[in-house]
Amino acid sequence: MTYCVVMPDAEIPRILAKLGESHKVFGPIQKGTEWVFGRVERAQDLCLDYVTTVLPPKKYFSPPRETIFTFDHDKFSRIEDLIPAEKQVLLGVHPCDVNGLKFLDRVFLGFRSDPRYLRRRNNFLIFALTCKTVSDSCFCMSMGTGPEAKSGFDVLMTDIGRRYLMESGSQEGEQVLRSLELQAATEEDLQAKRAVIERLKGEFKRSLDMAGMPELCLSSQDHPVWAKYGNICLGCGQCGMVCPTCFCFDVRDTVDVSLTKGERYREWDVCLLKEFAQVALGGNFRPERSARLRQFVCHNLSYGSYQYSMTKCVGCGRCIRICPVDIDITLIARELRGDEASGEGPI
Amino acid sequence: MKDPYKREIAEVLAIKRETSNTNTYTFRFVEEDVQRAFRFTPGQFIIISFPGVGEAMFSIASSMSNTDSFAVAVRKVGRVTTRIHQLKVGDRLYISGPYGNGWPMKELEGKDVLIVTGGVGLPSPRPVIVHIEENRDDFGFLEILYGTRTPLESIFEWEFEKWHRMPRTKLALTVDYVPEGVEWKHSVGVVTTLLQNLVTKPRNAAALICGPEVMMHFVVQDLLRKGFNEEQLYVSLERRMRCGIAQCGHCQLGPYFVCKDGPVFKYSVIKDVPDCGI
Repeated sequence: MTYCVVMPDAEIPRILAKLGESHKVFGPIQKGTEWVFGRVERAQDLCLDYVTTVLPPKKYFSPPRETIFTFDHDKFSRIEDLIPAEKQVLLGVHPCDVNGLKFLDRVFLGFRSDPRYLRRRNNFLIFALTCKTVSDSCFCMSMGTGPEAKSGFDVLMTDIGRRYLMESGSQEGEQVLRSLELQAATEEDLQAKRAVIERLKGEFKRSLDMAGMPELCLSSQDHPVWAKYGNICLGCGQCGMVCPTCFCFDVRDTVDVSLTKGERYREWDVCLLKEFAQVALGGNFRPERSARLRQFVCHNLSYGSYQYSMTKCVGCGRCIRICPVDIDITLIARELRGDEASGEGPI
Repeated sequence: MKDPYKREIAEVLAIKRETSNTNTYTFRFVEEDVQRAFRFTPGQFIIISFPGVGEAMFSIASSMSNTDSFAVAVRKVGRVTTRIHQLKVGDRLYISGPYGNGWPMKELEGKDVLIVTGGVGLPSPRPVIVHIEENRDDFGFLEILYGTRTPLESIFEWEFEKWHRMPRTKLALTVDYVPEGVEWKHSVGVVTTLLQNLVTKPRNAAALICGPEVMMHFVVQDLLRKGFNEEQLYVSLERRMRCGIAQCGHCQLGPYFVCKDGPVFKYSVIKDVPDCGI
């Protein structure tokens, strides 16, 4: 049974302080003209009106660069030393990003469980946040990941006008909510949330028709769309860096001057980068940009579904926003379908 | 919870020089329990790891019935393989595995087995050959076609006499070219030239193919023309790998992870997958 309370806007500082007593608090904060997930030290730092963050929450669970282990001669570090068990809470995670974490769970806790990822994941409470607006690049509704978050969070917050409806999504979430001493939600509050969801549904300008898309990608490997956009792609890989479900990493070793101490670490890698599929003796299984772009798009719209029974793309729109040459995954999907390329095309 | 990124300590039992840049290394896990638990299928691979240097993947080249040790053949081409070539008998290193799906050993029973391989592709099917040798009555005709660039680059040469003498077995060798002053009494030409004198008939046979993708492409096309069907052909693929457990993402091949779903695939499964050159 979902436990529902209401948090008036004026109560936010008190709630943050209360959460801060037992947890390190992270959430969306403004940085220049963009937003990022960061440490929320003061209530006024928290920016729940954000559109989207530059990097998705994956940075907390599969960090951009993460030590797998350190070594000193033949002595290896323990995971407990690398990742202390400290309670943390991540506030304001939009539904697309909540689903992004669900996908990453399948990657890192599926075929084999990575104790590093698991430990970080277990340390964090997720307070999801129903979006307040729909941006031009958002298409979560097409991907079935929004605008309403249905699972994958401990608490779901929805702005219902001068107050937030707070719904529990897990036992731990319910316990925390109960400790916050907030008023129980009324039927009107729940209705107000439904109205918010309905309003949001009408605000989407972008869509991606996923019907039959996994199969279509598999049968469209020679489609001219790959060369068309591969030719303008810069191969910079930013789309993968900002993607909430791109999980690829490279593994490297370093040693310090003693030559006996060092670390093995993993670092985000992206299939758009030329060296990604390179092997010994200079062989490369995706030497052309068009093949690498196809890998990125097809992994998101097709292969991921076969690998994890869940579409990899969650419709957050970050790859569209960040692409320096305006490559748009929703436009590529339309062209794959043979629909007339309409609207704003590439530069 | 068991950490899939943990490596176990192993030691070098033996080193055998195969060619000027390739050695076969025999290892054993130092912990008895670890060695006892190490069971593999031919075609599976291990990760060899040196803290401070890095890790790389290698096909297990030894007999699956030998539970006391295991071996890999290593050609010196990069950082990790150069480090391996510095090893001496008794040295210790880190190893984990086995990983991946190997050759379909159960399905091969009672069938004629054709192995087509090139260069350092031989270590992967070698345990199949050894297994057939050890259980000769369980298999039909065994035909091994092996090609290398020159006669100086063939590995496991010391076993060729034995394979020649094995009952119901044919071993045919070819090289791309013969350098001056080198004696060579076998074929000259790419490995597909050996298919001209193929003995194995498609009826009740399976072909195991391991080598560069362009080689596997032509071998597959030739075998299909000779009446083999796509279900009878198995290929072992190479990809960049960083983890062996479908997390680093590098070895993705369409909907598959080569490290987890492969490296051995039925040809029918991967023939239309993008970025597959076969």
